[in-house]
Amino acid sequence: MSTRPHRRAYSIGIAFDWFFFVFAGVAAVWLAVLSAEESLRLGWWGIAGGIVFWALLAYLVLPRLHRILTTIYVPDYFIGRTRTSDGLLGDPVNLALRGDGDAIERALTAAGWTKADPVTLRSSWRIVASTLTRRSYGEAPVSPLFLFGRQQDFAYQQEVDGNPAQRHHVRFWRCPDGWLLPGGARVDWLAAGTFDTSVGLSLFTLQITHRIDADTDIERDHIVATLTRAHPEIRVDVLADFSTGYHSRNGGGDTIRTDGNLPIIDVTRVAA
Amino acid sequence: MSETPHKRAAFEAPARLAQPTPYDPGMPRPGATVAGALLVLLRAIGGIVVLVSLVLDWPEVLATLEGASDAGSLAAESGVLLTVALVSGGFFVVVDLVLALFIYLGRNWARVLVLIVSTISIVSAFVSWWAQGQQLTLDGSLTTLALDILVLLALSSRAAAAYARRTERR
Repeated sequence: MSTRPHRRAYSIGIAFDWFFFVFAGVAAVWLAVLSAEESLRLGWWGIAGGIVFWALLAYLVLPRLHRILTTIYVPDYFIGRTRTSDGLLGDPVNLALRGDGDAIERALTAAGWTKADPVTLRSSWRIVASTLTRRSYGEAPVSPLFLFGRQQDFAYQQEVDGNPAQRHHVRFWRCPDGWLLPGGARVDWLAAGTFDTSVGLSLFTLQITHRIDADTDIERDHIVATLTRAHPEIRVDVLADFSTGYHSRNGGGDTIRTDGNLPIIDVTRVAA
Repeated sequence: MSETPHKRAAFEAPARLAQPTPYDPGMPRPGATVAGALLVLLRAIGGIVVLVSLVLDWPEVLATLEGASDAGSLAAESGVLLTVALVSGGFFVVVDLVLALFIYLGRNWARVLVLIVSTISIVSAFVSWWAQGQQLTLDGSLTTLALDILVLLALSSRAAAAYARRTERR
C-alpha cells in the first residue's frame, strides 16, 4: 500500500456523491414509512399500496441501507466469500482453477455446461416469463456476484429437467496478477458453484431470488466430476480444509454447509 | 529491510462509499441513469398535466384567488395572471425536459443539479411534515415527494454516478 504513489482519494464532486448516496437512503426510509401509513388508510386499495411498499422496501430501501452498512462492516479483502451487488456475503468460493479462460470455457462446454446470458432487460424479462410459464431457458442469466471488487467474468449453468427454477450454476473470476491464495498456492481463476433449488424471497432484502441448496459441496463435486469425465487430461489437486467446515448464510439468507476443501482444477492440458 | 504488514481494521472507512468512479468512456448506459431520466421526464409530464388543468379550471381558480385576497374582483387582471402562471410553469417544464435529456446523455452537471433541487424539495417537505404536521396524501404532495425521492435514489446510485463521470480522469 505505502509503496504506491499517493493520489487524492476524493474530490468535492465525490464528496457530493457520498452525501446524496446516504441522504437518498435515509429519504427512502421515510418514503417507505409514508407509503405504509398511506396504504393503511386506503382500504381495499391498500393491498396495491402494500405491494408498492414491498417493492420500494425490497428493491430500493434495503439495498441502499445494506450498501451503506456493508461497505463499513464487511472487510474488503479475500475471505473466501463472494459479495452480492448490495455488499452482502454471497456464495462461498469453492473451486480454484489453473489455465486460461478460453481453456476453462472449452472444457465446460464439452462437459455439458451452457454459458449464461449477461443480465439485460430482455434476458431478465425472459427469465421471469420462463419461470412463471415453467418453460426452459438454458442460457438464463445469473445474478452478478463480486470478488476482488469485480463482477464475475463469466458464468456457466446446467438446467435441471427444463425447469428454470432449478439449475446448477458456477461463476468464474480471474485472480489479479501475482495474487496468491491464503497459504500461498498460486491459482489463475476462482469459482463459486451452487445449486439453485427454487425461487423464493431473500431474507435480507426481501427480493425475489433463487434459493440455493445448503450443501454446496455436492455442487462443487458435481462440477469437478463433469469436467474430469469429459476431459481425462484434467488434473485435480485438493487443498484440504482450505476453509474449515463452517455453517453460514449466503446473501439471500440461505444456509451454507461445507467441509472446507478447495479443489484446484488444472485445465492447462485441455486441447484447443 | 522487510516491512511488517500493517494490521487491517475489522471495519472499513465509510469514505469507501465515495470511492472515485473509474474512467471508462465506453461504459454502457446503466439502468439507473435511464430510470433517473424517465422519472424527471415524468415530473415534466406531471407539470404539463397541472398546467392544462389550470387552464380548464381557470374560472374556479380565479374565484378562489378573489376570495383569498381583499382586492375584490380580479377579472381585469385575469389574462395577465393566467399568462404569468403558464409562462412560469412552462419554464420549469422546459427545464425538466432539458435536464432529462442531458441526464440521459450522461452529463454530470444535469445530474448534480437535479440531485440538489430534489434534496431541497425533500427537506422542505420533511420540515412541513414534521414541524407543521402537514398531511402527505396520495392525491397531493406524496406523489411529488415520491417522485423526488425516486429520482434521488436513481441518480445517486454508484452506476449513475460512474456513468455521469465516465470521462473524468483522476
